Amino acid sequence: MTAGFHPDAAPGYTPSATERSVHWVRQLAVIVLISAILLPIAWIFLTAFKTPRDVYSISSALWFTPTLENLQTVFREPWNLGNKIFNSFAVAGGTVLLAMPMATMAAYAFSRFDFRFKQSIFLVVIASQFIPAAVVVLPYFLMFKEAGMLDTRTALVLVNLSIVLPYAVWMIKGFIDAVPMEIEESAVVDGASRARVIWEIVVPTALPGIITAAVFSFTLTWNEFLFALIIGKQHALTLPIGLIGFRTERGDLWELMAAGGVLITAPMFLISLLVQKQFVGSLTAGSVR
Amino acid sequence: MTIISLSHIDKSFGPVRIVKDLNLTIEDQEFLVFLGPSGCGKTTTMRMVAGLEHPTMGDVAFDGQRMNEVPTQRRDVAMVFQNYGLYPHMSVAQNIAYPLKLRGIALGERDKLVAKAADRVELGPFLKRMPRELSGGQRQRVALARSIVRTPRVFLMDEPLSNLDAKLRVVARAQIKHLAEDLKVTTIYVTHDQVEAMTLAHRVAVMQDGVIRQLGAPEDIYNDPADSFVAGFIGSPAMNLLPVQAQVSGLLAEGGLQIRLNAPRPGALLLGARAEDMRLGSLDDAHLQADVFTFEMLGESTMATVMVGQTLIAVKAPKDLRLRSGARIGIHFDPQRLYWFDAASGARIRD
Repeated sequence: MTAGFHPDAAPGYTPSATERSVHWVRQLAVIVLISAILLPIAWIFLTAFKTPRDVYSISSALWFTPTLENLQTVFREPWNLGNKIFNSFAVAGGTVLLAMPMATMAAYAFSRFDFRFKQSIFLVVIASQFIPAAVVVLPYFLMFKEAGMLDTRTALVLVNLSIVLPYAVWMIKGFIDAVPMEIEESAVVDGASRARVIWEIVVPTALPGIITAAVFSFTLTWNEFLFALIIGKQHALTLPIGLIGFRTERGDLWELMAAGGVLITAPMFLISLLVQKQFVGSLTAGSVR
Repeated sequence: MTIISLSHIDKSFGPVRIVKDLNLTIEDQEFLVFLGPSGCGKTTTMRMVAGLEHPTMGDVAFDGQRMNEVPTQRRDVAMVFQNYGLYPHMSVAQNIAYPLKLRGIALGERDKLVAKAADRVELGPFLKRMPRELSGGQRQRVALARSIVRTPRVFLMDEPLSNLDAKLRVVARAQIKHLAEDLKVTTIYVTHDQVEAMTLAHRVAVMQDGVIRQLGAPEDIYNDPADSFVAGFIGSPAMNLLPVQAQVSGLLAEGGLQIRLNAPRPGALLLGARAEDMRLGSLDDAHLQADVFTFEMLGESTMATVMVGQTLIAVKAPKDLRLRSGARIGIHFDPQRLYWFDAASGARIRD
């Protein structure tokens, strides 16, 4: 009982009554906080496997017979989530694949090179994030309309690139800044060209940062709603737009919407699990004293 | 065979002039040490030889061929950095192999050369480890092995021992010296530690404020310093430098102390004498009488320090001697081993 309170305290330490109650109050507060965050998500997850009747019933809130019917229904007409899943992957994947090399090269330049107006340009890159999406939606719409690119996945990738690149550049630059110059100079003395230094030395060392930026970019694009709504019409619809379809004249089809929600969040969970390994341990430990 | 020539090398970072009109020729297979305090320009000069910095003015040449425009990658130099600069995502073997990999040497041949280099620095059992799993001394040896795995034209070492503990430093120093002799490559070594300079160098270039104050073999720097800076920098403990007024009757030190020695010329001078060239003796015929300020036991000897005005003068004494603070002692100089410097310029006065 005692060990649970103060693991660092000397053995034989007995906390006072006040200390004990403070401890339990803290534990309770933590539980409340975590529940507030996790319960809605758990609720949606459960709803995805309920029949329409169970969705609205309180007695069946936790104990119900699960059904896979919803997950199957959402792939059929008229919702066609399968098509939308493909689009979401294509747009998010395409954005990340394009954004990471571009952001890494830009970040390297900002970190290692000296050029006129470097500070100002960097500031502009960062500050572009502050432009509210609603302000640029119409210009984008008109631009793509002129170019005949409305309702294309390419247009969505371009828009998402503009959203994602500033943050990716800023984040990756931070990680490249942390790579000691001596490592690069060592490589140069050993005979590596600048390109090889970046590809074989800097990128592997800054990889945790690049992966973090990639995951963030993917998530941002995956969940992007406003531009997907404005630019997509029939062919380039993504999952978040697909969810709107569940608000019908009959009412909100919660069980289907929840199934859609599960499909949207599942890839995020998987990516997070996979990526966690990269952050265990410090990669640059041992390279410099 | 590589002779390095630095002619009229000047380097400024913005308004700050770090290296001032430096001229130096480093002979083939010479082990040259740049010695000086922080900020004197020694590392900057070596980096210009490597190509990591470009001279604001002046030429760097290898064997007469001007290297200013040649990028670092093609200068065929090898460098050991102060913080080792190991690649953290590669194993020890991969670190050592990298210069070979860059030159397209085949895998089999690469492994042989890596093994040879690793054995030379006794890293054989560590080849598969990652840098973060190694101790400081081991990491330094990886950096060394990486620099010797191919035979470069020039070795450059930037304070490689400064991050090692004292005991390890002595061992590593011996290894470096042995390695340099074995490989017969022109070497430039930068340090602020005068012991390293004395033990490793063929010649030492003592630098201060971007200028070489003296260039010569360690014994010449030690026994025949060109100015008071060099005199005070080399030797442990540092040479005693006492400001005196040279008069007809003798020397007048601060605090009114009389020293019974004759100066080569009158005026304000610095009297230099090494602690080991002085001895404690009888008070009557001592050159200088003073009270003990501190007395230290060094193990192999003892050291008595006296205060003359604002200056501390240290004298080495036998290890069994014991003195108390405040005791009056008689200091005897060796007239053959006195150094005189102009008090204003620090220039050595030779008679």
